Amino acid sequence: MEMLSVKGLTKKYPSFTLREAAFTVEPGEIMGLIGRNGAGKSTTLKCLTGMVHPDGGEIAFFGLPLAGHELEIRQRMAFMSGTTDFYMRKKLRTITGTTKAFYPGWDEAAYRRYMERFRLDENKTPATLSAGMRVKYSLALAMSHHAELLILDEPTSGLDPISRDELTDLFLSLQREGVSILFSTHITSDLEKCADRITYIHEGRIMNSESLQDFRSRYRLVRMDGAVPEAWRPHLLGCKEAKHGFTALMERAWTEQLGVPSQEAALDDVMVHLEKEHDER
Amino acid sequence: MKALLKKELCLALHPVNVIFLAMSAFLLIPSYPYYVTFFYTTLGLFFVCLTGRENHDMEYTMLLPVRRCDMVRARMLLAVIIELTQVIVCIPFAVISQKINRIPNVVGMEANIAFFGLALLLLGVFNIVFFPAYYRKPSAVGVSFVIASVVEAVVIVGLELMCHYVTFFRRYLDTRGLVYLPQKLMVLGLGIAAFAALTAVACRLSERRFERVDF
Repeated sequence: MEMLSVKGLTKKYPSFTLREAAFTVEPGEIMGLIGRNGAGKSTTLKCLTGMVHPDGGEIAFFGLPLAGHELEIRQRMAFMSGTTDFYMRKKLRTITGTTKAFYPGWDEAAYRRYMERFRLDENKTPATLSAGMRVKYSLALAMSHHAELLILDEPTSGLDPISRDELTDLFLSLQREGVSILFSTHITSDLEKCADRITYIHEGRIMNSESLQDFRSRYRLVRMDGAVPEAWRPHLLGCKEAKHGFTALMERAWTEQLGVPSQEAALDDVMVHLEKEHDER
Repeated sequence: MKALLKKELCLALHPVNVIFLAMSAFLLIPSYPYYVTFFYTTLGLFFVCLTGRENHDMEYTMLLPVRRCDMVRARMLLAVIIELTQVIVCIPFAVISQKINRIPNVVGMEANIAFFGLALLLLGVFNIVFFPAYYRKPSAVGVSFVIASVVEAVVIVGLELMCHYVTFFRRYLDTRGLVYLPQKLMVLGLGIAAFAALTAVACRLSERRFERVDF
């Protein structure tokens, strides 16, 4: 059973349209939703959580359609937007005391364990915590009602590299506990470390939704000094001028057929060049 | 609903809501527009919604396993609790005011039984103007409050003027103590009914409008 299934999700705004988004999140999987700022990542996630009303499409969590099962679904999942900035001047103890009243299955022992593991002091307020610690607090809340699916919108945005590394470690550790995670980010290096699958969104359209390995291995990075050879030009994607030449993506099959010297493409390279390619079309 | 009400009391309630209960002492001031006390009540409700916006209260609550209509009902229940608490706290001050102020209120309405009925009407009018406007666009809470305040001011001025120009008000309602008790009780009853009806309609309208809001 899929943890999340999205089909034909559409949302129209005057200046932006999310078009027919479709993807799934499997049990125990970490899915990264990537795309540049304004690509539609947050709109997609907000549609999933009922914060935005979609104009069309089907959303199902745990095999249950979202419409008509919102309360049951929200008991089993958790959503975090950004680095958690609600009630910044209230003590964590007060926020927790309020939050847990909504979850009949609240596990106080698990909560205590996570608070200890994350070195969080209940007498502090979110305002006195770093952004990374606030994310951890949200995760502690989510895990204390045994959320099976975490949906996180840009959780690593604004965090320093060490905090981001800690968080991705944490995601992997939660995955080992059986939790599925869908998180959006434009910091692709975070996904290299922990994502199983990637859904790439560009201007409101899902361009790819596949395993990280497949996504990356489909392309090779071509980095050359000098001018672009004419024979290669039709097969180069998102060709960018570099200091002494150019860089571009090329589909693996073409690099082999044309004998183009190439190297493994990082997720960052894939995204940057694909964005450029789409912009030029 | 119990959990939501707890959230309203523990997280959403603003300290000024408690502080403004002390404004009930305005009823002790000789010759004063006593309805002003209830303007502070509504100002306190605005603070709840304003600080809620700054604290991302709606975003936080939307992520909990609750329905949107229950979010509205909980907030309105909090408003009703605050409003009725203010009315109740005012009662002893009204009694004392009648005892210690020997000169009649030359500004307008005496703080008597009928006054509380009219105050409830005023609060009901605030509820039906403010909350549906607020839940149509929660981010523009200030605009909703300005509109509601203007309506509230018009109602206050209107009620005070009626004590001078409307015979029923001047002769029966704007009097001290328990004289003309049936008329005063009738106005109190009508005020209670108006408050209940206006607040119920405000709640229904707010629920409908909030269902359509995108964050």
